[in-house]
Amino acid sequence: MDPAEAEFLAEKELVTVIPNFSLDRIYLIGGDLGPFNPGLPVEVPLWLAVNLKQRQKCRLIPPEWMDAEKLEEIRDQERKEDTFTPMPSPYYMELTKLLLNYASDSIPKADEIRTLVKDTWDTRIAKLRLSADSFVRQQEAHAKLDNLTLMEINTTGTFLTQALDHMYKLRTNLQPAESAQSQDF
Amino acid sequence: MAEAYFPVGPGLGPEENFLSLEDILMSQEKLPGRVEAALPRLAAVLGKGAAGSKVEIPLWLAKGLYDNKRRILSVELPKIYKEGWRTVFSADANVVDLHKMGPYYYGFGSQLLNFDNPENAEIAQTILQTFIGRFRRIMDSSQNAYNEDTSALVARLDELERALFRAGQKGLNDFQCWEKGQASQITASSLVQNYRKRKFTDVDG
Repeated sequence: MDPAEAEFLAEKELVTVIPNFSLDRIYLIGGDLGPFNPGLPVEVPLWLAVNLKQRQKCRLIPPEWMDAEKLEEIRDQERKEDTFTPMPSPYYMELTKLLLNYASDSIPKADEIRTLVKDTWDTRIAKLRLSADSFVRQQEAHAKLDNLTLMEINTTGTFLTQALDHMYKLRTNLQPAESAQSQDF
Repeated sequence: MAEAYFPVGPGLGPEENFLSLEDILMSQEKLPGRVEAALPRLAAVLGKGAAGSKVEIPLWLAKGLYDNKRRILSVELPKIYKEGWRTVFSADANVVDLHKMGPYYYGFGSQLLNFDNPENAEIAQTILQTFIGRFRRIMDSSQNAYNEDTSALVARLDELERALFRAGQKGLNDFQCWEKGQASQITASSLVQNYRKRKFTDVDG
């Protein structure tokens, strides 16, 4: 899966915006989007929020976890724990990138937030690599990792599955070879 | 996902993949052996062909000539699969230059298990342990080297490890390119870039 595909899936997350236009309820295949009244906050999917913002028809409100102190707490907790801590949103990386690119004016301390999220990301990726290495070293058959997000899985997934494929084939070499089978067409 | 060409990977077991380019190149590697019976018509390939002489033949030929009743050929293990090098690998797998030692260490080693050999179990075990030992370094170097010259990092890896390294680099590059926002820019596909069509202005002349 590409990072762009993960971003596409992330755009379904709901965020709050304050529109400056009015519109009745619209009925889309994915669900209804509530009536838009200027000045009243309404929840919309991220793809619509970004589009409206680009056309200057709304103001984005950052999600409540996108706050410097909260993110610092999350980062410190991530550094303390050995396992993965649950993230405030399963798409935190994509949300951060999109919101900070398109709506950095409505988000206070945008640069600090970017740095904090990047730090948390780096810590989690390092933990992922460590656990992948111990998984391979001990030749475990089965591992379970909670609280991983899709973007993290994508970045290391291809490499890890290929390496495990190779390891599996090398491991089946250990069994004594069966009698030669003819090729079937 | 957006690849135009999916290469067939090497088969790592006792059977190679017929369609894999890597396996074809790998089976060209030479294997020391000894001819047991006289082979008059193969003198061009084997040199003299007198019974009992030592030859170095490519793997594909060895596999074809090898027979369980061992009438024609008996193979020996190349240096790096022997006892001495096996202890080097078990001591520290990371220091060995696997590219120099035959760039297809894992594939060739798996093929060697086809020839009955009392040391097969240890060879298989050593190959597996070497892979596990070097895994960490490949993972770290491939996921951390962004936009750098990686030739120093891949110099000591064999072909299988290089393919893994490229997969890791691809994951990293895709992520970085997405983060910079280049993922949504439209670029010409690699398939079409080489066509060198004349530009519209040239046609007008």
